[in-house]
Amino acid sequence: MKKQNHIYIIKHAVLSVFSLFLLAGLTSCEDVIDLNTATGPTQLVVDGWINNQPGNQKIKLTWSANYFDNSAPKPVQGAEVTVTDNLGNVFVFEDLANDGNYIWKGTGTDTLGKVGRTYALSIKNGEDVYTASSEIKRVPKVDSVVYQKETLPFNPDKGPKEGYIASFYARDLPGEGDRYWIKPVVSGKIAISKASDLTVAYDAGPSAGAPSDGLIFILPLRQAITRDSLYLAGASVGVELHSITPEAFEFIKQVAEQGSNGGLFATPVANVKSNVTNTNPNGIRPLGFFGATAVSRMETTIDPAKARPED
Amino acid sequence: MINKLLKTWLCVCLICISLTSSFGQGKQTVSGYVKDASNGEGLIGVSVYVREAETGVVTNSYGFYSITLPAGDYTLVYTYMGYQKTKQSVALTSDKTVSIEMKDESNELAEVTISTKKDDENVKSIEMSVNKVEMKTIKKMPALFGEVDLVRSIQLLPGVTTVGEGASGFNVRGGDVSQNLVLLDEAPVYNSSHLFGFFSVFNPDAVKDVKLIKGGIPAQYGGRISSILDVRMKEGNSKKREINGGLGTIFSRLTYEQPFAEGKGSFIVAGRRSYIDVLAKPFLNKDLRDSKFYFYDLTGKVNYQLGDKDTFYASGYFGKDVFGGGDFAFGWGNATATARWNHIFSSKLFMNLTGFYSNYDYSLGQNVNDDSATDKFDWKSKIISTSIKPDFTYYLTPNNQITFGGQYIRYDSRPGTATAISEGEETNISQEPRYGDEWALYAGNEQKLTDRISLQYGIRYSYFRSLGPGTEYDFIPGKKGERETPVIPGREYGKGDVIKSYGNWEPRFAVNFGLSSSTSLKASYNRTSQYLHLLSNTAASSPLDVWTLSSSRIAPEKADQVALGWFSNFKENTYEASVEVYYKKLYNQIDYVPGSELLLNSFVEGDLLSGKGRAYGAEFYVKKNKGKLTGWMSYTLSRTERLVETINNDEWFPARFDKPHNFTAVAIYELKKRLSLSANFTFATGTPATFPTTRYSVGDIPVGENYSGARNNSRIPAYHRLDLAATLKSKKKLFGVGEGEWVFSVYNAYNRRNAFSVYTRANPDTPLRTEAIRYSVIGSFIPAITYNFKF
Repeated sequence: MKKQNHIYIIKHAVLSVFSLFLLAGLTSCEDVIDLNTATGPTQLVVDGWINNQPGNQKIKLTWSANYFDNSAPKPVQGAEVTVTDNLGNVFVFEDLANDGNYIWKGTGTDTLGKVGRTYALSIKNGEDVYTASSEIKRVPKVDSVVYQKETLPFNPDKGPKEGYIASFYARDLPGEGDRYWIKPVVSGKIAISKASDLTVAYDAGPSAGAPSDGLIFILPLRQAITRDSLYLAGASVGVELHSITPEAFEFIKQVAEQGSNGGLFATPVANVKSNVTNTNPNGIRPLGFFGATAVSRMETTIDPAKARPED
Repeated sequence: MINKLLKTWLCVCLICISLTSSFGQGKQTVSGYVKDASNGEGLIGVSVYVREAETGVVTNSYGFYSITLPAGDYTLVYTYMGYQKTKQSVALTSDKTVSIEMKDESNELAEVTISTKKDDENVKSIEMSVNKVEMKTIKKMPALFGEVDLVRSIQLLPGVTTVGEGASGFNVRGGDVSQNLVLLDEAPVYNSSHLFGFFSVFNPDAVKDVKLIKGGIPAQYGGRISSILDVRMKEGNSKKREINGGLGTIFSRLTYEQPFAEGKGSFIVAGRRSYIDVLAKPFLNKDLRDSKFYFYDLTGKVNYQLGDKDTFYASGYFGKDVFGGGDFAFGWGNATATARWNHIFSSKLFMNLTGFYSNYDYSLGQNVNDDSATDKFDWKSKIISTSIKPDFTYYLTPNNQITFGGQYIRYDSRPGTATAISEGEETNISQEPRYGDEWALYAGNEQKLTDRISLQYGIRYSYFRSLGPGTEYDFIPGKKGERETPVIPGREYGKGDVIKSYGNWEPRFAVNFGLSSSTSLKASYNRTSQYLHLLSNTAASSPLDVWTLSSSRIAPEKADQVALGWFSNFKENTYEASVEVYYKKLYNQIDYVPGSELLLNSFVEGDLLSGKGRAYGAEFYVKKNKGKLTGWMSYTLSRTERLVETINNDEWFPARFDKPHNFTAVAIYELKKRLSLSANFTFATGTPATFPTTRYSVGDIPVGENYSGARNNSRIPAYHRLDLAATLKSKKKLFGVGEGEWVFSVYNAYNRRNAFSVYTRANPDTPLRTEAIRYSVIGSFIPAITYNFKF
C-alpha cells in the first residue's frame, strides 16, 4: 500500500518497518487473552449524524454494555427526540420500527440540514433529558475520482495482488480551520466497518499543526478511499466529503486512534469525548456524538482503459 | 546576573586557593596517576591509602590522585577490585609525583583471595546510591542475542526498571527515561538505543568504566533530574597493539588499539555493524530486496601525554539506524565529539577542561531523492548541544578535597523541519527552531570530619535562557485538561533576545557515619533541575520523540531526593551488602491532553499538561565479589506516582513504569580456567494499564470507555525471565598468538511469553467482536552464539 507517509500513521510506519525486522528472525507475538474488567453503569449512546441531503435523517439511540459483551446493543425505546434549528424549525424524530433508529421522514427535495445553520438535539428518556448541538459548515465540491493500476510486491491477506488504487481530488476552501470527514463509498454505500476506515482532514492535511489551507487534499488523504485492499476492474468506488465541526473532528480522530492503538508505541487509553450532555449534572453521562454535516459526493466505475498506468 | 555570578564564583576560587597556600605550610604533596599495567589505561576509583597516616584518597575519572601530608616516610597502598594490591614507599621531603601501574589479578588466579583485602570502597566512601558494574562482569552476563549490552545490564541493578524489551532507555527511582543524563566521555547521548530499545549504542569493547549515580548526586553533575550514567571510553592500549573483535548474531565488531610516540599517546577505534540485512537478502523476494534495515556505530578516542602535567584526549561516537524500503526511508542516530585537556597546575590542583558537541537526529521521508515524483514527504528533526566545561579539583588536605567549576551549554533544537509536496504543490510544515543556553557554576567539598564521619557538600547554580529568534504563543485557557487554542499571531523575538529565563539553586549533601570498620550509615539529599524535555506519550519511548527546551509555557523540571542507607561488608569483603531507602519528589512533570499531537505541531505547548510526581522505595542489595561464584541479588520495593490535574479524577496514579516489586539475580561461576557459566533472573510486577469498562458503537465500530475515568488502575501480568550463558575459551592460540572464546547464550530460557502490554481492540476480521490482546515483544526463547577474539 502506498499510504505510508502520513503523519498520523508514522507510528505505524515505524511499526511496519519494525515488523519487517522481526520477520528476519525475531518473534514478537499477540495472543488473545481473558481479561476481567469492571462494568460501568449502562449509559445512553447517541449515534446521530444529520446532513444537508434530501431524504430521511436518522439518529440511533442504544444502551452501552460491558466492554467484552459481543451481543447486539440494546435499543433505547420510547424516547422523545427532536432537532431544532436556530430559526426555530422543529424536526421530530420517531422510532418507527421500535429498534432505536429514530427517523425524520424527508419529503421530496426538501432537506433538513442547511449550511450555516445550527441544530440542537433534545432527547427525553424517562426522567433524563440529553442535549447536544452542531453547526453545518461549508464543504468544497469533489473534482474527480481517479484510479491507478497497482501490483503489490507480495500476496496480500485480503483482495487481489493486482488491482487499482482509487483517489479523489478536491481542493480545500480558502480560509484556515475547515475540517472534513472523508468517507469511502463502495457500490453506492458508505464503506466504514473498522477504525482504520475513519479519516478526517484539517484543511487539506491531516492535522492543525501542519498548515495546508487551500491546497488539494494531500496524498495520504486522497487515497483514503482505498481501504485495506485493491479494487478490481468494474468496481464502483467513490467518496463522500462531509464538513464537520472541531468537536466532531476530535471525536472521529479519537475513535480512529483508539481503534489503531496497541503494540510498542501504544498511548494510554483515553475516553473519547462526547458532545452530548445530560441536563442533570448528577445523572449518568451519555456517550456518542450528534453531528450535522454538509456533503459532497462523487462516484465512478473502474474502467481499466481509463486507469492511470502503474508507476 | 551571569556577570555577578561569575564574579562571586571567581572570588570563592581565589579564597580557596589563598587559603590553601597558608594551610600548606610544612606539608608536602604526593600525587600521580594510577594505570593498568597491561594496557596503560588510567584506573578510576583506585583507593590510595597511607598506612602511617591512616588516611587515603581515591583516584578521579582520569586516574589522578593527590594527598598532602607532613614531611616523612610513608607507605602508599593502592587497592582496586580485580587488581593486585600494590605498595610503594615514599620519602616525602618535597612534593613528589608517584605514578604507578597495577597488575590485573587474573594473571595469578589462585592467589586472588589473598591479594586484595581492602575492597571496602562501598563502606568507606561517601558515595551512596551509586552502582558500578565492571565491564568484565557485563561481558560475562547472558545477553539478548548474545550481544553484550551496557544498558540492559544496568536494568538489573536495584532501583532501575524498564517498561519492557524493546523500550529505549531505563527508569531510575521513579524518573522518566529522559531524566537520565547519559554521558559518553562527558558528552550527553540523547538516545542510547539501536533498533528501538533492543541494543544500546555503547560498544562494549570500547568502554572502560560505567557508573550509575541514582542519588546523592555530586555538585559537578547537572542538567537531568533523576540519574547520571557516566560511561568512560577506553583510552587505547599504550603498551602494545591490540585487536579485539567478535562475530555475533546481530553485530560483528572490531576494535583496534595502538600506542604511538613511545607510549605517550595511544588511540582506539571500534566499529560495529548489524548484518541481518546482508544475511536475509538472498531470502527476500525481488520487490523487498531493496529493503534496508541495519545499524552501526563507530567509536574512537586518542590521547596524548605532553610532559608530566598535561594530557589531551579527543573522542567521538557516530551511530546510525537505517530502515527503509522502496521509496520510504527512516533513520536516526547520535553523534558526539569530546575534546579534553587534563592539566596539573600544582600537585594539589587538577583541572579538566572539556568541550563537547552532541547531535541527535532522525529523518523520515518518502521519494526524497526522486526528482520526478510529484508527491514527496521529507521530515527531519534534531537537537544539537555544544558545551564547554572546566572542572577543578583542589586537594587541600587529606581531609578536604574541593571541587569547583562550571559549564556552558548552547542548545539548538529543530523539532521538525518538514516539507510535503502534493501533486507538485509544496507546503512547508516545519516547526520553528528553538534556541537556548544553560549556565552552571558549582563548588563542593569532600571533608573528613573525624575517623568516623565524612561529608560531601556542595551547591550548584544553574541558569537557563530561552533565546530568540523565535515565536512564542499565548494560549487561550479552555476547559481544564483539554487542548488550548493558540493566540495567532504569536509574539516574535529577534536573534539573541531572551524570551524567558530560569535560575535554580541546587544544593547537594551527603554524609557517611562509620559504625565499624566494615559497616557504615549514609544519608544524602540532592536537588536537581532540568531544562530539556522529552515529549513522549507512548508506552515505550520512540526514536521519533521530540526534545524541547523550557519556555514560558514549560517550566524546568525539578526533583528533590533524600536517601538513607546502611552499607556493610562481610567475610573480608567477599560480600558487600546494602539497604537504601529513598523518597523523591518531582515537580513540573509533563503530561498530555487526550488526543495530543506531539509531532510536527507548532502549537504543541497547548497540548501539554503539568503535574508532579513522587517516588519512594527500599532497595536491598547483596553482592559477592570474590571466589569462583560471583554476582548479586537485589530486591526493590517501590512506588512511582504522578498527579496531574484532570487526569485520574485529580488523584495520584501510578506512572507507566511503576513496578512495585522488582527482584534480580546475576550469577557467574568460573567452572574451570577455560569455562565460565552465568545466569540472570528477573521478576517484576507487571506495568500498569488502563482498561475499558464499557462498550458502545460509532456506526459499526466498537469503542471502549472507562466510566470512572481512571488512569493505570489495572496491571498486566508479572514479568519473569531466566537467561543462561556459557563462555568457553579456545584451547589453541588463535593463529598461534591470539585468544578466542565462544559464548553460548539462551535468553528467556523457559520460553515465557512476557507481556509488554495488554490492550483491548476490535477483532480485525470481525470488527464487532471486542477482545483483549497480550502483546509480547519476545515470544519465545532466543539462543545465540558469539565468537570473540583478541590479538
